[in-house]
Formats: sequence, structure tokens, C-alpha cells
Amino acid sequence: MHLPTVVVQLRKIAGRDAVLDRPEDLMLYEYDAGVRKCTPAAVVFPQNTDHVAEIMKLAGSAGFPVVARGAGTGLSGGAIAPKGGIVLAFARMNHILEVDAENMRAVVQPGVVNQQLSDNVAHLGLYFAPDPSSQKACTIGGNVAENSGGPHTLAYGVTVNHVTGLTVVLPSGEIVRFGGKAAENNGFDLTGFCVGSEGTVGIATEITVRLLRRPERVATLLGIFETVDDGARTVSAITAAGITPAALEMLDGWTLRAVEAACHAGYPLDAGAVLLIELEGLAEQVEEQAEAVRQVCFQQKAREVRRARDENERELLWKGRKNAFAALGRLAPSYYSQDGVVPRTKIPTVLQFIEGVAKKYGLRIGNIFHAGDGNLHPLILFDPRDPEQLEMVQAAGTEILECCVSMGGSITGEHGVGLEKRNLMPLLFTNDDLDVMLSLRNAFNAAGVLNPGKLFPTTRMCRETSGPSTNPLLMAEGM
Amino acid sequence: MSATAVSFDLVRELRGICGDEYVRERPGGGVYVSPASTEEVTAILALANQHRLAVGPVGGSTERNAAELHVDILLHVNRLTQIDHYDHADLTVGVGAGTTISQLNAMVGADNLMFAGDPSIPERCTVGELLATAGHGPLRHGYGAVRDYCIGVHFVTGDGRRAKGGGRVVKNVAGYDLMKLLIGSYGTLAVITCASFKLFPAPRQTRTFLAEFVSAEEAVAFRDRVVRSPLSPMCLELVSPVARKIMRPERADDAWLICVRGAGSDAVLSRYQKELSSAITRELEGDEERRMWRALQDFPQRRDRADDDMAWDTNHRLSITVPPHDAIRVIETLQGVASTDEVEVGMTGRIGVGHIQALVWDRKPGASDALRVVVDALRGNLDESITMKVDGAANPWPIAPANLASMRAVKQALDPNNVLRGRDIF
Repeated sequence: MHLPTVVVQLRKIAGRDAVLDRPEDLMLYEYDAGVRKCTPAAVVFPQNTDHVAEIMKLAGSAGFPVVARGAGTGLSGGAIAPKGGIVLAFARMNHILEVDAENMRAVVQPGVVNQQLSDNVAHLGLYFAPDPSSQKACTIGGNVAENSGGPHTLAYGVTVNHVTGLTVVLPSGEIVRFGGKAAENNGFDLTGFCVGSEGTVGIATEITVRLLRRPERVATLLGIFETVDDGARTVSAITAAGITPAALEMLDGWTLRAVEAACHAGYPLDAGAVLLIELEGLAEQVEEQAEAVRQVCFQQKAREVRRARDENERELLWKGRKNAFAALGRLAPSYYSQDGVVPRTKIPTVLQFIEGVAKKYGLRIGNIFHAGDGNLHPLILFDPRDPEQLEMVQAAGTEILECCVSMGGSITGEHGVGLEKRNLMPLLFTNDDLDVMLSLRNAFNAAGVLNPGKLFPTTRMCRETSGPSTNPLLMAEGM
Repeated sequence: MSATAVSFDLVRELRGICGDEYVRERPGGGVYVSPASTEEVTAILALANQHRLAVGPVGGSTERNAAELHVDILLHVNRLTQIDHYDHADLTVGVGAGTTISQLNAMVGADNLMFAGDPSIPERCTVGELLATAGHGPLRHGYGAVRDYCIGVHFVTGDGRRAKGGGRVVKNVAGYDLMKLLIGSYGTLAVITCASFKLFPAPRQTRTFLAEFVSAEEAVAFRDRVVRSPLSPMCLELVSPVARKIMRPERADDAWLICVRGAGSDAVLSRYQKELSSAITRELEGDEERRMWRALQDFPQRRDRADDDMAWDTNHRLSITVPPHDAIRVIETLQGVASTDEVEVGMTGRIGVGHIQALVWDRKPGASDALRVVVDALRGNLDESITMKVDGAANPWPIAPANLASMRAVKQALDPNNVLRGRDIF
């Protein structure tokens, strides 16, 4: 089927004003928050699950790939269409369908903005725990696809720990229901399997999430250190003291100065690093932990430990953290964000390695990251108009992720693999591992209609033997 | 091939893989094997695929129900006890699937850490079966389910592929979350050989607050009060009068019990006292507290006759989970069934998360199908949001999962010859 015919059919399904196919409109959907660009053939805005099912049937019969998209805030290229096709944009499926306060659940459409849900249930003393830095814009559908995290992952877990049920449209157009409001599944945990599958298994059109109760007290501390090393060692020392903060974030000196200039969060301009430490829970417990954390910080050579005196001060400190990526945008036309993970005791070593990579390539790399769970976000500044710079930046990023993996870590903690890191998957997984994952993808999406070109590598790398794969499944993927 | 059709040649081949002493013929037919490595598991599954033999993976506790598994090869993971990694400062550990929960806790406890899985009889229960059955105990309330703290898994698929998912760091979204798929799949997709977990700091001090109520309704109302309070207890457990009789027959009475276990300093525990106030009838600490929680932990696996009137031989272990607010309907339904002359039900459970653990048995053995009576009553009174598992049954899901077609697709992807426990479920 040709594109014009498909567009006519899409309009019949979703409405005349629910389809974009003009180049100037499609340009808005050719990128996400990563560094790649791919233009889709058409964009459609479904309004309900039946629309999505009909669109999937049409795409399957017409041979067009389908890429689901929330707000396009992802950093791994998950929501862009490298093979053209139809972008399924969920901007109009943005309703909170049910708030069940008694069971501490909400049922939402995928286009609901993360922060919107927490705002909506705040009067009940409840909130949705996953809090990516982009939570004012990113959607819960996107959070589900990428299994997104955020600063408070440390205590509360990532998205999968807060999703109990999904309504999913399979590539065939069949509508299936996985899980529900209960905390366990009847049969396999297909809900858990779908979360983080990066839109390659099915498309979630209704999401049942767990809500948490707001803590009685929150203490937000800012530990100020002369050196990055002192700050990094404090991270492990806090854990060793038996304390699990709700969040434990780190900014290096260079980054915090850039952030302070943009956000005026109150960060000290002359520090080597700061730790943003949040403790939540019962008042008595929080006060005890706050004192214990202060002592640990001073034992690790903290120059000063400040505590937010009220909600305004707390919000200001978090504003600096959550807007940090944007703040660095003032210093260079673009940045390349990595998402490596290491065991938290390896943070000092990997930060030194990153410093060496910056020197080697002559690049500026800022570090602002979820230190408590070892999830690093080195931000490499560059000018995308210079192809040589882009190449160098990607090489530097790869070296950093290789280092993370060599320390027992991972290439992604919360951003997903997508296009960006698909060729780094062999650093972590053997051919057999990937073969098993691919056979599971093919159990639902054998024709590769859903989000093709994502998650699975297109090249063979590093430890793998050279030459083409002899595995038919991998060969089918061009591996 | 039936469970009695394992040939002498096959036994010899299995002995070639695992060694003579780790392959035994089972009295009822079939073979018991105990591989020592992932390579041996892979070879056994290759052989099973070649000869279309049914394989049932078991650990120390599920082995007790081996007679229920209609398999040719009973694959025991008890020799897979290697320590893959133990990074105590990072609060992570990776161990072989045959490691028992007690062994794991002894290792990490030396560093003041805690593994949050607390299934029944931890001296027998292995890591592999905890994962395969998605098992849990009272710590489920405060620390989440094993799906929440399992960070990596190594396994051999039904068709004999060695693979892994996840890794050994606490945050990792690279690739499909294969842990979720295997946890609670009852060994139908793959044999888990090794798994990695997040650990937690062991609490330095705990205290348990007991509150007694004349009715389940009052007990559940108290549950609501605790859940809505600022407290965040480690455990929040319901115990029915019949369950109390089973656990401590000499001290049983007719009251429903809610057990709240708090952890923290004296100031924190004083706050528990204040919040729970007049509802508390007793507080437990030290050995007495530990004994009570151990009894609750082991409740589903009680096999001893606690009372002459109880017909234990036929008890069924039913694990029910519903949205928390529906828990009272589960309890009332089970009470309704138990009000007849035929069936008796004892209940405990992680009531804060909507879980009820029911022991169900016929008052007069053979007089009725107690399990079927209970399952039918629950299906009749609750909607599709109810989830049920029967521990130790050939088919753990007494209600066919609504997404059986998707489950079959997954099964076909990992075990196309239906080698792993296939006959009873798929």
C-alpha cells in the first residue's frame, strides 16, 4: 500500500485532524532528546485503544513500521523512526481514567504526563514515585517503554516496580490485558516483561500504576566537598552506615557552577563536588538519619553540610538538579548524555576514567548523576554541526560505557538502549543472550513492525567473534 | 514419553553427564538428576529435547511435591551453590540457584546485611525455587516482592540455550527484563542456574506490636489505619483464629490478629506505640519475636498435625492476591466456605498488599474437593482482579490465566518442545 492511501486510511480511523504528513509538520517528530534524527512518513494521534488496534492492523497489512511516541524526551532514540513509517503520538490519549485511592492505584492513558499524575493525586496524599528529570514533560507511556527511573529510584525503584497492569495492543491489532490492580499476576509476569521492552513487543494503551503515600517528613541535605573523590567516597560510606536515602545525587564542581549560573539554586561556586541527599519517612527516623548522614559527610572531609530549611529551599535545590541538562545547554550547542551504571563503590574510579577520556579527546565532560545507585550521566558537550566532533563524542561515550561494563556495570540505567546504544549490547550480552531476547520479541512482533531497528545490535562487536552470525534469528536482524 | 519410559540407555547418558552418584531412578518412574554446573543443565536439557522427555526443575522445598510433577527427569538444583559475586559494600550478591535462603542469609548477615526473601523453611528453600514460584514471606510488605530486588538471572531455556538477563548492578534497563518473565513461571520456561540480588541493611532493632480483634472486619479496618499512618513497618501480617490454632494450639483463641513489625531506634519504636496506641495487646522483642515471625514464615509449609481434629494429609496451600481493598471479600468468602461442615481454612497473609495465604483442607478426608470448593467460591465472589496460585500443585494456576495465548507464545519461544513441566500446564 502506498503512503497516500495509508494516510487516507489513518484519517478514517483517527479523524481528519489526527494525521500529519506534510514535511514541515513531520520535522517536529524527527528527533527526541538524543542526538539522532529520522523523519517518519506520517504521524497519527489515536484517541483510544481501538484506534491503536486499527492502526496496527493497517500498518501490518500496508507493511509500514510503527513507532510509539510520548513527549519525545527520551535520550536513546527510542521514539524516532529510523525506518520511516508511522509515528503513533499519544498526545491525545492523555487522560487519567481512574484514581483508586483505596487501593492506591491509578489507571492512565500513555500520554499522561508524569508530573500531571502526581499533581492530580496530591490532594489524596499520594504520588507516582518514578521521577525522571523530564517529569514535567515526559509521559507515563514513555516511562513504561523505557522503564524510566529518576533520582528517587534509589529508595523506590524504577517504573516497573510501580506498574501492576497494562492494556496492550499487539502488532496483530489484538488487544490483550496483562496484570491488573493486584500486586501479583495470574500466570507469567507479562506486565513486567513489557515494561522496558522499548515499544518492540506491544503498545501500552492503558497503564495501571501503584501510587505511594507522601512521607511525613522530608529532609534535603547538601553535602559540599572540596574534591570529586571525597564526594564519591561519601556515597559508599552512607550506604555502609546502613542508610538508604530516598535520593543521593552528585554534581561535580564544573557542572554545579554551570547549573548555578542558570538556575541560582544556591550551590557553592567554589566546591569540588556536592551531594544532594534526600531522606524521607517517619519524622523521628528522618531526623536520626539526617544527623547520621551529616556525620558521615564530615568523616569523608565534607567542608559543609547544609539542610533545606523549608519547601522553597528544597525545591530550589532540586530545580538545579532537574534542570541541569538544560543549564549545560548554555555552554555548548548540544550535549551527548551517557547513562552508564557501575557498582557504587566504583564511582571514584570511573570518574577518574571519565576525566582521562575528556583529556584524551579534548572534550568538556560534566558529571551530574544518580550516585546512590551508581547511575552516571556524563554529559559531553559538543557542536553537532561539526561531524568530526560528533564522531569523537560518540567514541568518548563508548569508551566510558566500556569502562562501566568492565567494572561489572551496564550501558544504561534508565534511558534505554534504543538506537543510541544498540551496538553496545554485545558488551553486556552474548549472542545466545540476544538470541533468546530476539526470539521473545519475535513471539509478539515477528515481522518487526513495532519499533524496528531498536534495542538489538546491527553489528558484531568487541568480545564477539568476527564474521556474520550463523544464528538465523540474528541474521534476520542483519547481525 | 511417559514418566516410566526412561530407558536404561538414557539413564546411562545422564550418568555420563552428571556422574553415577547424581543420577537415581525414582521409585514411581523417571529419573532424579542433580547437575553441578550450567553446562550439565544444558546437556540434560539437550538430551530431554532430543528424546522429548519432560523435565521438572525442583529445589529443596518443591522437591517435596515431586510426586505431583508428571515428569521423566526431576532436575534438582541443589548442587548449583556457587557464589558468583558478593559485593557487600555495593549491597549486591549473586549465587547459584541451589543455594538455600538460610545459606544466603548466613553469608550476608555476617556483614549486617539482609536478603529480603523469607519463604517457608528457608533451610530447604533454594534461590531457584524462590524465583520460580515468586515466593515470599512476611518481609514482602516492607521490602517488596522478589521481582523488585532480583537484578540478574542466568538460565538455560527449555530448548537448551544458555542465556542471561539483567546484571549485577542495582539499576539496569539494558535488554528485556528476563527476570520478570522467569520469576513466577514455575520452571516452565527455563532452568534458573544463578541469580543476583539487591541486599538491604539488616535492621539493628525491631519490635512487633500485636493487636487482636473479634472479627476480620475490625482487623482489616486496623490494617487500613496502619497503611494510612506515617509508619512504614517491615511486616504487616494478618492471622486468622484457625491459623493461630495451627501455629500455637496451646495458646489459641478466637481472636483475629494483626502483627506489625517496626524497625528503628527507641524513638522510632516509641512512635509506633503512639500511633498504634490502644489497639496493641502485646509487644514482642528478641527471641520471642523471632519465634513468632518464624512460625508465620513457615505457616504455609506446616505438615505436622497440630491438632487431632485436623485432617492434615489433604491440605492445600493457596496464595491469593487481590487489590488491597478487596482482601476483606476474600476473607469473608473463605469464612463462608469454612462455615460448612466439610472444609476448613486457616489464613495468614501480607494483608497490607492484598495477600492472603490460605491453608485449605477437608474436615473429613475425601468427603469433598476442598480446593475446588474454595476456588469456585472465590471466583464467584470476586472479579477477574483476583490472582491465585496453589503451591505444590501440578498446575499452580487454578484459574486459567486470561492471557494464556500470550503465555503460550512465550513458552513456544523458549521451550518449543514443551519439555519443561509442559504436560500439566500447556
